Amino acid sequence: MVAEVETSGSMQDRRRGGAASNLARSEQINGWLFIMPALVLLGIFMVYPILWSLWMSFQVGRGMNFSFGGFANIIRLTQDPVFIRALSNTLLFLAVQVPIMLMLALLFASALNDSKLWGRGFFRTAIFLPCVTSLVAYSVIFKSIFALDGIANQALLALQLIENPINWLSDPFWARVVVISAITWRWTGYNMIFYLAAMQNIDRSIYEAAKIDGVPTWARFWFITVPMLKPVILFTAVTSTIGTLQLFDEVNLLTNGGPSDATLTLSLYIYNLSFRFMPSFGYAATVSYVIVILVGVLSLIQFLIARDRRR
Amino acid sequence: MTSFTSRWRRSLAAAALAGTSLFSVAAASAAELVVWCWDPNFNGATMQEAFSRYQAEHPDDTINVVIFDKAAMEQKLQAQLASGSTDGLPDIVLIEDYRAQKYLQSFPGAFEPLNSHIDYSTFAPYKVELATLNGQTYSLPFDSGVTGYFYRTDLLAEAGFGPEDLENITWDQLIEIGKTVKEETGQILLPIDPTGSDWIRIMLQSAGSWYFDADGNVTIAGNPVFKAALETYQRLIASGITTPVSGWTEYTGSFTSGKTLSTFSGVWMTATIKANPDQAGQWGVAPSPRLDGVEGAGNASNLGGSSWYVLSSAPQKEMAIDFLATIWGSDVDFYQKILVNQGALGSLLAAREGEAYQASDEFFSGQPVWQNFSDWLAEIPAVNYGIFTEEADAAVVAQVPAITSGGNIDDIIAAIDAQVRQQTQ
Repeated sequence: MVAEVETSGSMQDRRRGGAASNLARSEQINGWLFIMPALVLLGIFMVYPILWSLWMSFQVGRGMNFSFGGFANIIRLTQDPVFIRALSNTLLFLAVQVPIMLMLALLFASALNDSKLWGRGFFRTAIFLPCVTSLVAYSVIFKSIFALDGIANQALLALQLIENPINWLSDPFWARVVVISAITWRWTGYNMIFYLAAMQNIDRSIYEAAKIDGVPTWARFWFITVPMLKPVILFTAVTSTIGTLQLFDEVNLLTNGGPSDATLTLSLYIYNLSFRFMPSFGYAATVSYVIVILVGVLSLIQFLIARDRRR
Repeated sequence: MTSFTSRWRRSLAAAALAGTSLFSVAAASAAELVVWCWDPNFNGATMQEAFSRYQAEHPDDTINVVIFDKAAMEQKLQAQLASGSTDGLPDIVLIEDYRAQKYLQSFPGAFEPLNSHIDYSTFAPYKVELATLNGQTYSLPFDSGVTGYFYRTDLLAEAGFGPEDLENITWDQLIEIGKTVKEETGQILLPIDPTGSDWIRIMLQSAGSWYFDADGNVTIAGNPVFKAALETYQRLIASGITTPVSGWTEYTGSFTSGKTLSTFSGVWMTATIKANPDQAGQWGVAPSPRLDGVEGAGNASNLGGSSWYVLSSAPQKEMAIDFLATIWGSDVDFYQKILVNQGALGSLLAAREGEAYQASDEFFSGQPVWQNFSDWLAEIPAVNYGIFTEEADAAVVAQVPAITSGGNIDDIIAAIDAQVRQQTQ
């Protein structure tokens, strides 16, 4: 750009211009060459599988015997009671778990943001620690905690809160409660860290001004902290939504989708369709595209809501 | 450039040489056979025993028996076969009879047909049938899952019941026995795992029925045996003689620890029960109960049973086939040993003439259990497991809470039928 401005108007404009465009072209080629390795890897390991799975989702057949089925898999979706169950379970987990977790994370973050709080370093670490544990390890521990003779029942019995032990993992309602508490336990600290980081970027003078004007604590939280955190809340809401829609490890290890499919999620159903049942990879790919569409639609809605409020 | 090329050539030659020498070593001896199976007390132990016999002739060869959780092994195998990569697959894999056709039909070419190496006329025909597809047979038939009712003789005697009270009874008679035991001693007769459908499968096959007919059509709605099985299951739960357990370990732990007094299962459960030598002489085996009021219902049924399959991609394929053919395919003495030690009722017909099959077992209070199991085995009605047993099981398990809580059986059957039909299209 600079070179062109300097040489503009000179007699050898055309020739020089040609040289500049040659330079630009060679820069472009060099640039593409530099990013080529990354692009090739992305193409092989991301774009190609995505396109291939889209193609797969139109295939029918058992095991490795594929044939093109057109919309057969999509029609199958609408008539599949297990898919409907998995979808409604997933949406239920989403609707219940994500708001609870984000609110808890926000509350913890604002409590631990108080510089006068004693031992806040300890509490921050303690609440964040669950999300560095392995998914498998913590699921197994939750399973033993909520066994019929596990710690949860023993504690509740000792406190005289219940008369008979609760059959946590064999009862459809309690199994969902256990799964939701497990995910909440693991991911609340993770989201809290985002809020904490964002809170430390809020200018303290805003709070001081509000304090001088006599704004009560709850209103300072609701009308200053929350709006200032909006982009971060949006980010955590989107990532948590995606995470919950892909929920697999916990339900696979804790309940294996049971009892009575009460905790069967879409991801677990995809797994069953591919690796447990008579493999129907085409249909499994179709179900996975349902997750893709759900993630897209829900993220879009969340973006729109956030944008509206910003105006 | 020249030096680079020549260096490259030299290293290639070296690699080729190394490859050749590795290959020749492998061909000469010291090969390791990798086997996947799922029970250290049962099929894993029998495989070790078989190989130790093979080793007598081939002292340099070794075996690596890899034990998984059964469901995990099946899913790992399926995932790996689907990926098309044969790296890391074993030479021999154990597959349960219910699933055999699913694997054979889903992954053509993944398993090695053994017709030219093994004389299938020497094995029980129904086991051969289960592993045959398009005229080729792929398995070395292993154990039968003939069912029996395993009970604690000492604890049932406290309530006044002896072996004669359990001979050829119906499920409802068993429920009455369980109620009396509970009244007399306060003990629970049976553990039940609500996440499994083993009991339903035993009941179905005992009356010659299954989720599917011989042509693979769904036979759930309108099948009197299926209805009777669900009703019996509901009565069993309602009678209070069962206690819920979660998962296999809790299930077997329940009756081996004396928390519950009995179980009905395949003959292979012998291995788990015998793993507690302190309970020797305190166990008995009766035929599994039969369904009340169902035509063709008998006291013989099947649960599980499995066979060994050689993978076409096996690095040690020759050795795997040779090993299966020489030990598993003809060593009658070997079958006597695994019968007594592991309760493995093999499918090699000649083995049933052996002395162990005639002997009584002190662990089971001196009953002639092996002869009994052999007799019951002959009475098992043959059914077609089809390729969708897993899907049908999932549909049944999904309705277990409804059955347990006393739901209407006709509605439940309609729901199971709808789900199975949808899942098996």
